[in-house]
Amino acid sequence: MSSTRLTRKAGPYALLVPAILVLVVGMAYPLGRQLVLSFHEFGRAQQFGQPAPWVGLDNYRELVTDRTMWTVIARSLAFCLVNASITMVVGTLVAVLMKRVATAPRLILQISMLLAWAMPVIAAMTAWQWLFDTRYGLVNWTLQKLGFNSFDGHNWLIDPLSFFFVASVIIIWMSVPFVAFTAYAALTQVSEETLEASHLDGATAIQRFRHIVYPTIKPVLTIVMLLQIVWDLRVFAQINFLQNVGGTPSETHLLGTYIYTLGIGQNDYGSASAMAMFVLVLTLALTFRYVRSLLKEEPR
Amino acid sequence: MNARARLWGAVAIVLAIIWAFPVYWIFNSAFQPVEALRSPNPSFLPDFSASGFGRVFDESFVDSLKLSLTVTLLAIVAAVLCGFVAAVAISRFRFRGRRSFIFTVLAIQMIPPEALFISQYKMLNDWGLLNSVVGLGLLYTALILPFTVWMLRGFVDGIPIDLEEAAMTDGCSRTRAFFTITFPLLAPGLVASSVYGFLQAWNEYTLAVVVMDPSNRTLPLWLKGLTDVSNEAVDWPAVMAGATLVAAPVIILFMIVQNRMTSGMVGGAVKG
Amino acid sequence: MKLTKIAAAAAASALALTALAACGSSDGDKADGGSDTVTLWLAGKTDTPPKVEAWLVKEFAAQHKGKNLKVQHIDWGELIPRLNTALQSDKTPDVVEVGNTQAATFTSVGAFTDLTDKLDQLGNNIGPKSFVEAGTYDGKVSAVPYYWGSRYIFYSKKAFKDAGIKVPTTLEGFDQAATQLKSDGNSKFSGFWLPGQDWRNGISWIFANGGDIAKQEGGKWVATLSSPESVKGLTELQGLYEKATTAPKDGKDAEPWTAFNNGEAAMFMAPSWARWSVDKKRAADLGGFALPGVDGGAAPVFAGGSNLGISAKSKNQDLAFDLLKLIYSDEFQQQLAKNGLGPANDKFTGLMGDDEFAKAAVSAASNSKLTPASPEWASVESASIMEEFFGKIANGGDVAAAAKAVDAKLNAALNK
Repeated sequence: MSSTRLTRKAGPYALLVPAILVLVVGMAYPLGRQLVLSFHEFGRAQQFGQPAPWVGLDNYRELVTDRTMWTVIARSLAFCLVNASITMVVGTLVAVLMKRVATAPRLILQISMLLAWAMPVIAAMTAWQWLFDTRYGLVNWTLQKLGFNSFDGHNWLIDPLSFFFVASVIIIWMSVPFVAFTAYAALTQVSEETLEASHLDGATAIQRFRHIVYPTIKPVLTIVMLLQIVWDLRVFAQINFLQNVGGTPSETHLLGTYIYTLGIGQNDYGSASAMAMFVLVLTLALTFRYVRSLLKEEPR
Repeated sequence: MNARARLWGAVAIVLAIIWAFPVYWIFNSAFQPVEALRSPNPSFLPDFSASGFGRVFDESFVDSLKLSLTVTLLAIVAAVLCGFVAAVAISRFRFRGRRSFIFTVLAIQMIPPEALFISQYKMLNDWGLLNSVVGLGLLYTALILPFTVWMLRGFVDGIPIDLEEAAMTDGCSRTRAFFTITFPLLAPGLVASSVYGFLQAWNEYTLAVVVMDPSNRTLPLWLKGLTDVSNEAVDWPAVMAGATLVAAPVIILFMIVQNRMTSGMVGGAVKG
Repeated sequence: MKLTKIAAAAAASALALTALAACGSSDGDKADGGSDTVTLWLAGKTDTPPKVEAWLVKEFAAQHKGKNLKVQHIDWGELIPRLNTALQSDKTPDVVEVGNTQAATFTSVGAFTDLTDKLDQLGNNIGPKSFVEAGTYDGKVSAVPYYWGSRYIFYSKKAFKDAGIKVPTTLEGFDQAATQLKSDGNSKFSGFWLPGQDWRNGISWIFANGGDIAKQEGGKWVATLSSPESVKGLTELQGLYEKATTAPKDGKDAEPWTAFNNGEAAMFMAPSWARWSVDKKRAADLGGFALPGVDGGAAPVFAGGSNLGISAKSKNQDLAFDLLKLIYSDEFQQQLAKNGLGPANDKFTGLMGDDEFAKAAVSAASNSKLTPASPEWASVESASIMEEFFGKIANGGDVAAAAKAVDAKLNAALNK
């Protein structure tokens, strides 16, 4: 009797132990160490045995007083908001489409989305680079064939706005599959009978969506949107790749690439750690409202 | 209704073609001679006589494939195990610290990887786990665990507790009700989280480069290595062929499990 | 409770794994003191030709009974990150190859053993001199030259013939030839393929006119891109951007042979190995010559190549130095040369070949220069300062003003 009561009480905590263990070892401990590192000077010299002097908030101070940093932050916020919203809208619509169509078209759509999602970033970026190539790109070639002769040799990356347009196309292309798949899985969890029952009771499609479908999928959509915001704010690989292809890096830096040049690119790990902490705080600030609303819905 | 359904089907297929075009371009490029890849006249159809696959399918690929499979599978199994029990705890129980745990799981996904990999390297180094499947597997498990927990918790939540209670009024204990009724309905959730975890771990690069030795590479490193040549031109058709090979297991996995990834099994379980 | 049992099992295995790992981490052969294996890290898969490498391994084993040489290949992209961590661990490689412009990153932190006193054991005439400088920090030489490459002009013989041009012998002659070739061709044609952000080739015009990127003055680095000589070279270069090329103004130096292969350029500048990337159909038409200097001879161009260093933490210091001696031996140097790699011992440069390409390579290398041997140069490259500067010039900006601005940036970056 008493043993069941004990296990009852200990039940949930015991179930959490493995996950907590993995997260503490794999993430919390390194994070803590890196936080400590951010208060030290740790450059190349320290990598090779020199002692690492404590510098307190100096790394952070340098960061915050860097004028370019604030331009980069503004740019990143704008980029993130545009991309995240477009991705969410397109992804959800695709999921609805997947739900609506017969198995064959659905599978074809899912596989094509999966292909886009599964392709290694290097290969996908190179293909996109070729598509948008100034002289030999398929995009320019097609536009010319359609009669837009001004696109002969059009340089897509040299102007920052155009650069970000191309970057957005690519990043949205890469991100929509994740949203679509997750939203689709959530949609399939919507109870069919409840939907049918309400349909029989006379509810319109929109009413059914608002009162049955949406509440079910909202938690999933919220978390996916959170992740999209986080990811779009910190995007690095794609921007870095495009900067190596063309354009003017100092005008196209986003948080990810800017921080990389300042930190890792210069072997300055103290600064890099401070910057990573800074980005973490920024991310939390940006997503705070959504996190809070998610948590509010949780019973204690 | 038939015409409308067919219209939507057509829309889906057009969308699929548009979305898959860059992937087709990758595949097409694997079957072109190098000069054709950046020429004023694009070649739309693969030229099967010029294949990059032969140049790229060698021992180093197979070794990397084995390593990637081992590490990824290890991470998925660990993450789904730990994540599943944690998800059940959050979903089915009310306890002190529940909200804090949920918040932590959320917040962890916001940590930038740059904030971690230096210390993760030092940590593995201290424990002698560098260049090991266990070391990398541990980091990958931590990487995919938060989302796995979140996803599985969503699936557990989505299965009404009425089902268990219905079974319990029939005389089952709580645990038995859970395992005979709820758990099978979770199959899609477990499968879905596994696929997501697989994809994340399979294509991960930064940690792998830091943890593994140059002679012991996962597939993303192997692929990057193909592009990293300094005394000759990059063999792009081979790289594209390599990319296709790297993506193939994910596609195959998805094909195998795709019909299990959705539920629709709820219908009929609740009587009346 | 079955659930808790699963949880317990998962937790236990996680703990066990970490405990196990923490215990059993000893490695086997690297005890204290030296070992029987000397590890050499070479960059790139085939930068050192496989048969040359095989010879080295065999010869080392033959000369040192009971010891052997293990060679590991590291991709260039991974080299620096891996060296940063490996050179200070107990599993450090013994001898490593680094790019000539990367050497300062490591010599400045004492990652390599000081070889200044032992240099004469390697040879009397170690070069190129710029490589030795690149491997020197604070008066101590710790990275010695391995091999050098050079870059020169590849051209279409037919295009020259059709335009009635001969191989130019002065830089001005080259500029004129390039301009003429462009005007002879259609709107897409480039006399000389010169992408706007390609500073590694463009810098030759600065060097040729006596300018430089930066020099050391009393312990500080002073950027010299705004010196009169540099500005003269940049202005000349700007003329080329305007009149001799259709390459994108934000283009970099990747795959410069592409336009040539498509018949859209008459000349391009690249390292010697680019020869093999030219379309086989055009191989017969392809020729090479060293970029001519202002007054004839060869212009100073940006040198490619690598240095070697012994890891300061290596436990095989003597054996590592023996390996260096073997690399500097006459036989090995000959092998390097025969395989098209510039040997550190210039006695054997003649072995590099007789054809016009070999001659161009040797001629171009005779006068080659490097980037400033500052440990902070890596951060200049990572911030793309040079690319952006050349891009500005290519877009037709005021040369002197842009040069002053970039000098300010360089001074800040190099003297951190």
